[in-house]
Amino acid sequence: MIIRKEFSVLLLLLSLILALLPLTANRSFTAKPDKLLSDVLNEDASFTVDQVAEFIIREDNTVQLIDLRLPEEFRKQAIPGAVNIPYPEFVTKDPEIWLGNKNVRNIFYSAGDIESDYALVYARGLGYDNSYVMAGGVTEWIRTVMETKFTGDRITARENALFETRRRAGEMFTELNNLPDSLKMKFLESKKFSAKKLDGGCE
Amino acid sequence: MNPYLAGILLGIVLLTAMVVSGRGLGASGGYKYCVVSIVGAVDPPHVENSEYYSKYFENGKKPLTNWLTLEIFGVVAGGLISGAVSGRLKLKVEKSPKISVTRRLIFAFLGGVLFVYGGQLARGCTSGAALSGMAVLSLAGFVTMIAIFGSAYVFAWIFRKNWI
Amino acid sequence: MAPLSSYFAFPEWLNMLTAFLIGIGFGFALEQAGFSSSRKLAGMFYGYDTTVIKVFFTAAIVALIGSQFLSYFGLLNLNQVYVNEFYVTASIVGGVIMGAGFIMGGFCPGTGLCAMSIGKIDAMAFVAGGFAGAFLFTETYPLIEGMANARYKGPVKINESLGLSPGLFTLIMVAAAVAMFWIAELAEKKFARPEITNDLK
Repeated sequence: MIIRKEFSVLLLLLSLILALLPLTANRSFTAKPDKLLSDVLNEDASFTVDQVAEFIIREDNTVQLIDLRLPEEFRKQAIPGAVNIPYPEFVTKDPEIWLGNKNVRNIFYSAGDIESDYALVYARGLGYDNSYVMAGGVTEWIRTVMETKFTGDRITARENALFETRRRAGEMFTELNNLPDSLKMKFLESKKFSAKKLDGGCE
Repeated sequence: MNPYLAGILLGIVLLTAMVVSGRGLGASGGYKYCVVSIVGAVDPPHVENSEYYSKYFENGKKPLTNWLTLEIFGVVAGGLISGAVSGRLKLKVEKSPKISVTRRLIFAFLGGVLFVYGGQLARGCTSGAALSGMAVLSLAGFVTMIAIFGSAYVFAWIFRKNWI
Repeated sequence: MAPLSSYFAFPEWLNMLTAFLIGIGFGFALEQAGFSSSRKLAGMFYGYDTTVIKVFFTAAIVALIGSQFLSYFGLLNLNQVYVNEFYVTASIVGGVIMGAGFIMGGFCPGTGLCAMSIGKIDAMAFVAGGFAGAFLFTETYPLIEGMANARYKGPVKINESLGLSPGLFTLIMVAAAVAMFWIAELAEKKFARPEITNDLK
């Protein structure tokens, strides 16, 4: 039978242990090394700029672009729909707030491949399997999407579709980045992270 | 059953809910889902016109299959099992001998109206907000609990004739 | 890895089944605690029966301590467990209304259900009133919508707002609960009403 005294002492002891343990729900590396490596090297973890262009023109909101460059570069030119999390900030803060929504696929990009690849390993290592990169970064985007030119005599249907996608994504890109600064900042900042919707309470 | 033992049992059930479904328990929400699904079955145009009702049916969701709805069905079943096992199954009106049956039933009904209404406003009743909220250290849970118990003590003096 | 429903996609029927089973456990525990009796529940507010505070705090503390230990051993991801969102006005106003409902009805929504299942007619009246109250809320929602959504603070945790670690707050809460258990025992002696408590046995 539960006796009040012993029970209270037990509870106090347990909570004392909790108070003394370093229990700040720290993120720890959960991935197994070999699985992590095979995951990030797998081409499934990487999207081409064309695939990203598709997401943009379709306004797919299961996808979130994350621009890892510094704020000044982001303000000059950004891909429509991206949020800016500078790389140094990304790897020092708890990424749960940005990556926690398991229903959203996060696509990292930077100027080239380096920082986005680091971020991919970092995020996947912490267990965020919903992390991907856009191969080639902004450089590849400009080269492929913005400066896309059709060469040759005939165009196949597939090439036509591809060309169309690039053109429209390019238009959106130009439109966004030509906005006067004040409007542009408002547009970019309106992209807030929606808190991941957990079920609960009596609601 | 010894209250502390019952408390441990209840705590384990709550912990199980957290571990299996990532949430705490609830009750008043279940009432709401039942009402919403009945309204949806009886008067669909009303549901479509109402912003509040329609959000329970978007994306093909059915309020009757909600976690909370099933959970309150379980509560009824669990109570029945416990009552059967302990020999407490008995049809009766529990009340103080100093008041009439009618008075007790009227107050019980009104109490229900107020409790679930308040529970939906506060987004949780004693189970969903206070109990489960405290178990996850939610500030809302603590505030709601203090509000419930505080006001109950105040009202207790007013309604004392009903109980003592 | 837990919560199981976050890490393993649950098909809908499994979600419903687990909810039902957990509900059974909930109803069983409530009824075993004696909460299927309105006079026992009301006793908390008149001093002659303090079972409510003992069961309530024991349950909350067991789940609190248990979940924190599971989190420490990496078995439960507390970030994936729902934390109630704080709407200041609604929490307080709703709480006050509920307090009145508690004293008038003698039940809370959960205990009302398990009391109804063992045949308490007053509990059936309470549950009926509960459905009426839910209907009242859903129909009149636009009237109080502003108040219901006012002063939203998000899923704030109490230890964060006090600047304490979760473990330290747990310790303080346990200490407070233990003190309350002692006070409850004293209150039961002082405000004893054997005519009622004997009825409740």
